[in-house]
Amino acid sequence: MSARFRRGAIGASALGLVPVLALTACSSGDGGGSSGGGDQVRMLVNITDNLTQAKWDELVAPFEEETGIDVKIEGPSGQSVAETFPTQLAAGTAPDVIQSIFPTEDTAPEILDLSDHDWAQDTPMADLYATDGAINVVGVGMQAQSLLYYNKDLFEKAGITEPPATWEDMDAALKALQDEGVKKPVGFASEWATGVQVQEIWHPQQNLTTPGWQQAVAGGSSTLGDQFQPMFEHVADWIDAGYTTADDVATDSGTQEANFIAGDVGIYPMGSWFTTTLAASPPEFEVGIFAPPVDDAADLPAPMGATMAFPYMVWNGTQAKDAATQLVEYLVTDEDAIAAQAEMDNFNREGLDTSANEYAGQVQELLDAAPSFVVPGNQTVGDFALPVAGFNEKFTEVAQGLWQGTSPADAAGQLTAWYDAEAAG
Amino acid sequence: MLGRRSALGRGLMTVPAALVYIGLMVVPVGYAVYYSFTEYNGIPSQAPEWVGLENYTRIFTDPTGDMHSSLWVTGIIAVVGAFGVNAIALGLALMLRRTTPFTAFARAVMFYPHVLSALIVGFLWQAILGPQGAVNNLLTGSGRSALPFLSDPDWALATMIAVIVWAQLGVQLVLYLAGLQAVPADLQEAATLDGAGRVQVFQHVTWPALAPTVTVTIVTSVLSLLKVYEVVLGLTNGGPGDATQTWAYEILAVSFANNKVGLACAQAMLLIVVAGILSFTIIALRRRAEEGAEALS
Repeated sequence: MSARFRRGAIGASALGLVPVLALTACSSGDGGGSSGGGDQVRMLVNITDNLTQAKWDELVAPFEEETGIDVKIEGPSGQSVAETFPTQLAAGTAPDVIQSIFPTEDTAPEILDLSDHDWAQDTPMADLYATDGAINVVGVGMQAQSLLYYNKDLFEKAGITEPPATWEDMDAALKALQDEGVKKPVGFASEWATGVQVQEIWHPQQNLTTPGWQQAVAGGSSTLGDQFQPMFEHVADWIDAGYTTADDVATDSGTQEANFIAGDVGIYPMGSWFTTTLAASPPEFEVGIFAPPVDDAADLPAPMGATMAFPYMVWNGTQAKDAATQLVEYLVTDEDAIAAQAEMDNFNREGLDTSANEYAGQVQELLDAAPSFVVPGNQTVGDFALPVAGFNEKFTEVAQGLWQGTSPADAAGQLTAWYDAEAAG
Repeated sequence: MLGRRSALGRGLMTVPAALVYIGLMVVPVGYAVYYSFTEYNGIPSQAPEWVGLENYTRIFTDPTGDMHSSLWVTGIIAVVGAFGVNAIALGLALMLRRTTPFTAFARAVMFYPHVLSALIVGFLWQAILGPQGAVNNLLTGSGRSALPFLSDPDWALATMIAVIVWAQLGVQLVLYLAGLQAVPADLQEAATLDGAGRVQVFQHVTWPALAPTVTVTIVTSVLSLLKVYEVVLGLTNGGPGDATQTWAYEILAVSFANNKVGLACAQAMLLIVVAGILSFTIIALRRRAEEGAEALS
């Protein structure tokens, strides 16, 4: 009996955790993920409602026809590409091209350096994702992060004539919306969204106050907590005033987006990818989009938080290096391929026609006006990456504590303590 | 000669099973033990670096403030959940022990949650108990206040335990039903003829006879509760804040997700040790109780 239970105990705890490690031990680690020979390229991609297998196949079909290279599209075998790629690396079955994720400190040595290719230097945001000039990830455009979508009808009813420019304006707008009886003056959401939303709103002022704040934190001239405490204070004030409640951070982003579209939310902070949802389900009211507020209106327009759209990287261990590089070049430089990807999932890029999507057009205007672009704290590669892993998850956990009564100072302290412990290894 | 050949034959027949066991259990666990003493990111081309007890020290000192809270959450789930699932399963088994069309239907209904993936169970109950879920819609629709099932830290933990109990009830119920079939009917009948009431029959006849079943159900439920992960992912994703982050969530969604394979293996090793200690303790306690009961009779 005891032996059975011992086996059960071991099995219960270890069975789900260690097979990959066993495979790691057994794998050579020197390639083999590709079919080899350059006739076929395996590409691991994100599969969503917008990014379907059929659309990916359609996207690469002209490339296959032109080059004779067979592109095999593969969806994640785990929850996401981020989870699948390291597992495949460990098992020695990594794909030749990886889409939708960025290199990390751990995976960067496994990724091909594309710096020698001229076309790579000209891709959007290549400079912000480069490490000492070395480029190992390229994209087709950018997804703006620092965006606040608002319901123009509710603004008008509440007597708000202009989108808020300063924090005082923002507080006044939220109060006016609340006084008007709007259910959710500002719509935060649960899980990953809480952390992303709080950061998105703070990017402009944060980068005005401390340009290149990640480097300041990494260099020790600032702390992570100090960087976010002012934003935590704004959020705590909004919670105290009842503009957002604990229910918000237990409501998933899909539901909160539906609430916005239904007209129950005054202001919804979200990245430019939300324009795709809006275009697919246009609300009955007019939607406006504005950049987050700053301390002094004279500083507007301020730096815009943004991430690379449709990032691609090539596995260094591939036996089909040339074919994989050709495919990536096609995806990020071919005009038809870029337009096809913009149709699959919206992004912005200078010169890209956004006339078919009025919301994307508004985002493009804000991007055109922005004096510079800045990357968020969860950036994992390049000169502006924090030297720790797991930032977004921790930030979300700490930020959600604000809705449970954690003071801004304590939340900031938790962030700093976490960063110090992680940075110390 | 014949005996030796027979023993050799028997030994050879165990080889395939032994190979499978060694390949799928001993080797991976062995590697996990080794990795737990290294700093390793799981990427074969980057060799593990031996760091001794550093990962274990990190777990005990918890410099990031994440791990001890998840231990606490896991402990609450294991204790409260094991008590809840066994108490309810035993009660239901006593109600459904006689086979009738109704009890057969009820047993199927009770077992049904176990057929569902734990992740689906989490998503399902999130849709029912979320701030805009079915229950809160009914409450607010009838003029009452919504309840913070998933938005308040204490409520969220209680909700998660309730959902886990609901999901695990079916298996424990089947075990208890099987155990009840083994209780000698003549003993129960004799006790009844001697004037014992229902409670006395349960206390002095049914319960002692169920002892081995109780041991199995408690141990299996505790082991299962110690590694709760999928329900957390589907129902709360560890939130709000870190209110429902379990030890398994910490291993899989935090350490493994951030390529801290060495730390994750150390955490998994501790889970195995704790699960083993708890299992043997429960078995020992139950055995002592059974021996005490036998001595009295």
